[in-house]
Amino acid sequence: MDALPVSGWIKDQLQALQDFVLLLAQAFSNIFRRPFYYDDVLLQMDTIGFGSLPIVILTGFFTGAVMALQLSSTLAQYGQIERTGELVSISLVRELGPVLSSLMVAGRNASGMASELGSMLVTEQLDAMRALGTDPLKKLVTPRLLATMIMNFFLTIVADLCGIFGGYVYSALAIGLDSRQFWSSAFYALDFHDLVQGLTKPVIFGIIVALVGCYYGLKARGGTQGVGRATTQSVVAASLLVIMSDFVISRAVITFLGK
Amino acid sequence: MGSSLQLTPTAAPPQDRREPPVIRFEEVRLSFERQALLDGVSFQVRKGATKVLLGEASSGKTTLLKLALGLVRPDSGRIWVCGAEVSCLPESELFELRRHIGIVFQESALFDSLSVRENVAFRLLEEQRYDDAEIERRVRTALSFVELEEAIDKMPADLSGGMKRRVSIARALISEPEVMLYDSPTGGLDPITSTTIMELIVKLRDVNRVTALLVTHRLQDAYFLATHAWNAGANQAQPAPEAARFTSFLLLRQGRVIFDGAGSDLLASPDEYVHTYLS
Repeated sequence: MDALPVSGWIKDQLQALQDFVLLLAQAFSNIFRRPFYYDDVLLQMDTIGFGSLPIVILTGFFTGAVMALQLSSTLAQYGQIERTGELVSISLVRELGPVLSSLMVAGRNASGMASELGSMLVTEQLDAMRALGTDPLKKLVTPRLLATMIMNFFLTIVADLCGIFGGYVYSALAIGLDSRQFWSSAFYALDFHDLVQGLTKPVIFGIIVALVGCYYGLKARGGTQGVGRATTQSVVAASLLVIMSDFVISRAVITFLGK
Repeated sequence: MGSSLQLTPTAAPPQDRREPPVIRFEEVRLSFERQALLDGVSFQVRKGATKVLLGEASSGKTTLLKLALGLVRPDSGRIWVCGAEVSCLPESELFELRRHIGIVFQESALFDSLSVRENVAFRLLEEQRYDDAEIERRVRTALSFVELEEAIDKMPADLSGGMKRRVSIARALISEPEVMLYDSPTGGLDPITSTTIMELIVKLRDVNRVTALLVTHRLQDAYFLATHAWNAGANQAQPAPEAARFTSFLLLRQGRVIFDGAGSDLLASPDEYVHTYLS
């Protein structure tokens, strides 16, 4: 007798989770096993990091500006408009910087990884690589994982700085806030816990984005149409996982660090 | 066929019964989604011989090549290649074994982001044992063997189907493999290019004593192998009765071996399906 559709679906999801965890374990264990693909890591860092720089700068800048716009009007009702810089910087460093830059990286790079690996899979290039004595996980997945972890960290710092600068530009030009007041409130508002939270998240989000992109690429089935499907799924899944894990990390930081 | 590849001809007969088989399948079974792809397949290939795998589409021919290379694991049965039991080796040891095996994929499977030079050199670059000059020399030697040295700086997208197939052969040859696996090497090619590819396969078999499995849908290719041998003096494949000794045939039907033997026995087979297939 055939299994119920629901139990089949649950089995598929568990299988996918198992495959994802195995990919995670293999990708990390490969970091410490020869051969090391330094050139591939640098190439990916260039593609992922420098390639994503323009969209991260623009996203950060306009997010900071729109936050200043929205917060300043609310704060003005309570006579607290001089705290605009403080709220902009805390929101950006803790939450919006890591999340938005990771979403941008996911949109640009998780899709790129899924389509690249998916195309290689359906054209037998991955089989050819294995046949030539090279482990595709070591050659293709681990460099992308390392590069995304490292570059997402720095891209988030760039997004944070551009966001605060965007907030400053709006505050200075539109509401005439004193620049010294803005910058001092923006920087003195941040403490160690904010930085820990704000700089841990992009590393974890980087792992999620890279592995989700690679996972969907390696699971692509059904020719070019399957590659297109895998590309879309990778962006959706990576974006959702980034937002969901953001909540978990924020909750954990508040629980363990008390803020 | 001009070539500068220095291969050492050997006088030893390719089907020496004293030598253990280089490829051996024993009762191999494989199924996918409850459907049997291979059902108790057994055969062997001795050093220097070529086994031509025939059969309808989806009869399991390509799967046999992937099993021989360890890209796919059988559900049951045992497979030996170059003395190693492929069916139970861990992936890390398979990577080492695969250095002795070359494969030409049906669609060439060249790395489309790498140039012809980088594609052919891929294995040597990965091994990190050779300096740049040695790699360049070996790449040019392999490309001259397939008469494509002038395409060394091209990208795969700039090559025709036949050229891609020849680059794929050069890539497989770079490490001087003991075993070659060809998956429809002439599929989709014009007759002249197909003959060029088949001559290269004959040359590898006769000059280098490479043991091979060859999947094909083209019976004329199979008979070319069984009727032609490499003439070093004339530098081309020429009709030679002794070629039949180096070539055997295996016919698959729905994952089962229908026939395994010499070309003459295949033609004389009383089996109705064999007759239908050959006609």
